[in-house]
Amino acid sequence: MSEAKRLHPVSILFHVITTTRQIFFALLPIILLVINDFKWLHLILGLIIVIVFLFGFSILKWLRFTYQIEHDQLRIEQGVFVRQKRTISKHRIQSIDLTQNVIHRIFGLTKVQIETAGSNLNVDASLSAVTFAEGKWLHGQLKYHNNNTPVDTEDNQVDQQVEKQYPTRQISWPMLILAGSTSGSFGILLALIGFASSEAESLIPDSFYEETTSWIFSQAVPTIILLSIILLIGIYIVGILSTLIKYGNFTITRYEEELYITRGLLEKKQMTIPLKRIQVVGIKQSIIREPLGLATVFVEIAGGEVDEREGTETLLFPILFKKEIKTFLAEIIPEYNALPDKFQSIPKRALPYYFVRAAWLPIIASIIVALFWFKWIWVPLLILAISIIFGFLRFRTNGYNLTDKQLTLRLRHFSKDIIMLRRRRMQAFETQQHVLHRKQRLATTNSSILNNFAGRHYKLNEIESDGADAIGEWYSYQTKG
Amino acid sequence: MKQTPQKQIANDAIKAWQISASIQLSIGILIGIIILILGNVFSFSYWYGIGFFGLDIILGTITIFIIPKLRWRRWRYEIFDQEIYIQYGILIVTRTLVPMARVQHVDTKQGPILKKYDLASLTISTAATVHEIPALLEHEAYGLRDQISELARVEQDDV
Repeated sequence: MSEAKRLHPVSILFHVITTTRQIFFALLPIILLVINDFKWLHLILGLIIVIVFLFGFSILKWLRFTYQIEHDQLRIEQGVFVRQKRTISKHRIQSIDLTQNVIHRIFGLTKVQIETAGSNLNVDASLSAVTFAEGKWLHGQLKYHNNNTPVDTEDNQVDQQVEKQYPTRQISWPMLILAGSTSGSFGILLALIGFASSEAESLIPDSFYEETTSWIFSQAVPTIILLSIILLIGIYIVGILSTLIKYGNFTITRYEEELYITRGLLEKKQMTIPLKRIQVVGIKQSIIREPLGLATVFVEIAGGEVDEREGTETLLFPILFKKEIKTFLAEIIPEYNALPDKFQSIPKRALPYYFVRAAWLPIIASIIVALFWFKWIWVPLLILAISIIFGFLRFRTNGYNLTDKQLTLRLRHFSKDIIMLRRRRMQAFETQQHVLHRKQRLATTNSSILNNFAGRHYKLNEIESDGADAIGEWYSYQTKG
Repeated sequence: MKQTPQKQIANDAIKAWQISASIQLSIGILIGIIILILGNVFSFSYWYGIGFFGLDIILGTITIFIIPKLRWRRWRYEIFDQEIYIQYGILIVTRTLVPMARVQHVDTKQGPILKKYDLASLTISTAATVHEIPALLEHEAYGLRDQISELARVEQDDV
């Protein structure tokens, strides 16, 4: 169908950069050692050798990497020492992502990531740099359905006019700032900075470190407080900015058979999610966003990039007001617009189990702390109080709604999640009862679906056992024939 | 989901489990002996070793004489045309439904202990979960494996 092609030469640069990043920490101790001994010549010679090797290897790798499309298959040949040929059938492709970072955008290139199901990243294909037009072409060739391709290469504006007919949503800047300020990245950043400053002691020269700390301690208390407030606000703003950069210009468009997402200010990302690959549609309200009536909409797909912070879920929209969700679903994925208003709640007699489950670990911790470090007893007691509150919140939140078409679970771990499950998408269904449950007519259900980590299990604790039986009947293929 | 599955696993499962529990017990006893010897060499109290033996005896009685029978009595399975239904668990009873259309592959496994009693275990994998029926009669397990893989060969439109 097409002849074997090489990547754009810029991919050599990318390979050098990623490898440098990987080996930097391995080399750091050696470099520090050499610097301490003032052997500058050795250092420069060593670095030159490393760089030459790195470039040489990267060029070889680039020479050896070819890809071609042949009979509905993508074929990739690669490897310098070990030659590897890989063929990916287009029917197995879960999603195709085009990503452009700053370097890509300078050269008019794009990265193409082709994801297949399962957690094994090695089975997926990644083309680190091809021209944008080539990326679009590949995308069109490899899609599940070849028609209805979104052809928006830069040179045909006419097609973009036609595309406008498809339902599409773009995030507004005020909403994005709202998303950033409620994202909870604040805590993560704070932890990161705390970690960095504890490590800084070993990296920054001692004299400088001591000067700084003694200067800080010599200041008056108000100055210190002011400094920390400024620092905290700074961290908060960085958190908002990182959301802006990541989700800026977030746009989702619904085509006949797929969802098309573009996002990112610095790194532009385009993602195609075939509707057939969606395993679950969910709505998440984090503990910060819930009181403000804000929520995000996500899907679980099998395969796809795993984002450290967001977990396995792929966002369909970074932030929405809760009352907008129904219209959003109806517009973008009408297949999943049946969001129920009422949920079967957990029976009162199950409340003790929720308390015990939330509290047993903090109670043990409290006992241990009380025995050995009594003056710190308030720490585990505080955690215990918070856990009990969460236990109660979980009891209040958890519930399910069963209709002919769909099982909807409302679950809370910390954030409140609504999960819309389809019978065809559930890989297995399980009920669990222990001795007391059987006497009290309670049961725990566990619904499994597939995602990029090879499985996710939604556990709903202690519902009425009749309800669990009803879900079982609904799920059972046998009784329905 | 109200009825329990009908079929029980092989009677000899109890013996097989008892043997593997005995092997574990003998490892426990070995550790107890090592502790006694170390107690002699490094001169700490023999009570550590004796305590360990006591623990062995309690755990051994439970795992050899109590658990296998209870476990066997609870274990049920049933293979329908369109799904697999299994039940297990002594304290916590778990019932699982696996649709045939979701089954990815079926394995049979046989270790030396199961081999002795002409038993084999059957492992059913979906894309997200793995389910095992332990200790079926050998020919039964092989029959079920072929039967399930035949039944599961319906068109899997996705994943």
